[in-house]
Amino acid sequence: MDTLKAAFILVPCLLLGLATGFVMHRSDFCIAGMFRDLFLFGSVFKLRTLMLLVACSMLLFELAHMLGFISIYPFPLFGSPSFANIIGGFIFGVGMVLAGGCVVGSLYKMGAGSILSAVACAGLIAGSALYAEIHPMWGALITKTTFFKGKITIPQILGMDPLPLMLLFIFGSALYFQRSFRHGLMTRPTYAEGSIQPWKAAVLLSFIGLISCILIGMPLGITTAYAKMAAYFESIFSSKHVSELAFFQLNPLKYQQPLTGIPLIGGPGPRLDAVAMIQFPLIAGIVFGSALSSILLKEFRVHAKAPLRQYLSVAVGGIIMGLASRMTPACNIWHLMGGLPILAAQSVLFLVGLLPGAWLGSVLLSRIVIK
Amino acid sequence: MSGNEDKIVEHDLCGQICPSTLLVALREINRNISQLTGGEVKLLFKTDNRDSINTIPEAVGNMGLKVNVQKQESYYEILVLKI
Repeated sequence: MDTLKAAFILVPCLLLGLATGFVMHRSDFCIAGMFRDLFLFGSVFKLRTLMLLVACSMLLFELAHMLGFISIYPFPLFGSPSFANIIGGFIFGVGMVLAGGCVVGSLYKMGAGSILSAVACAGLIAGSALYAEIHPMWGALITKTTFFKGKITIPQILGMDPLPLMLLFIFGSALYFQRSFRHGLMTRPTYAEGSIQPWKAAVLLSFIGLISCILIGMPLGITTAYAKMAAYFESIFSSKHVSELAFFQLNPLKYQQPLTGIPLIGGPGPRLDAVAMIQFPLIAGIVFGSALSSILLKEFRVHAKAPLRQYLSVAVGGIIMGLASRMTPACNIWHLMGGLPILAAQSVLFLVGLLPGAWLGSVLLSRIVIK
Repeated sequence: MSGNEDKIVEHDLCGQICPSTLLVALREINRNISQLTGGEVKLLFKTDNRDSINTIPEAVGNMGLKVNVQKQESYYEILVLKI
């Protein structure tokens, strides 16, 4: 691939990542916290903003699809639902609460100087490496428990046009959020300098997701890059072992970038492929976007001082999350910001598993980690 | 700390995992609630967690206490005291 073509992928991904990291830091848009606070404090304030993000994305994706701006629909990498989506979602939910942030949450917190979040990110890489060892067994389970083969979204399963179902959700959401805004349930007093209200962040993030779908051809996703990093690290010590693992030989990403027609092929193996070109700039962008935000606020500081119990929690949480992000497959950002808005069945099942997982994570966090 | 009436108990919660900042703050407030409402003690929490900078004052307000938030270089100080 020549430099100009590569730039059409690298630059938008880096910019999308920068915007995501900046917005998430300013609003502290922590998705793990949204689910955790529901179970720990009975608070739905943050979760409501996630619902707004899903509703806005649903509206934007559907409009863009109808107007022809989104040509690949459903998005690449989404497949038919399986029982693995629920199990993976459950394990992911436990991990993200113990890690103090999800896959993206850990990145933007690390960008602002959190060493605990850096440990969680290292755990994510270790968890991805661990998955490569169990992939043959887990892959067989996915194959056995896949249902509605060939169908990806709920409308496809129901055999109907997605528009009526989407309109139902969008109008229902519009009524709910109109009421929520009227009762002041969408805003809260902020004391942190430069703070963005979470509902505004939700709207901004839905536009970032839309731009990603139009320019790159799919929503934001970064977890395969963690597996790729694991493969690179493992190759340093035993390239033979890496070359023998079936997981690292996969190339699940196969499509053409809508704008340029560039064929994008890639997977978790230690290769400089489309996954590397899309997800590495995204990851770098999120980290630097958050760092930029905290530097501009003069709040950037590397924090290492924390109880050992918390270090153990984020390390274990990161490993669990890394493992689950391959078992599901993918992470909460991919499913909640990308899959739910198009009613992907995999994403619905992921959410079904994520809720009890986040509950269990909250119980473990409050009873064992924070004393 | 100067005299019993102005006793300020400080807790440095910078760098901690979310939501330990809020949970520790709530635990300390509950532990000292009678001295806080009696004005015998004030609690000062140092935090760099942007979420808890908003959630601690909200929770403190719901408990009928007063809160002052002040930015100090790269972190924030949240002072909890009686109204």
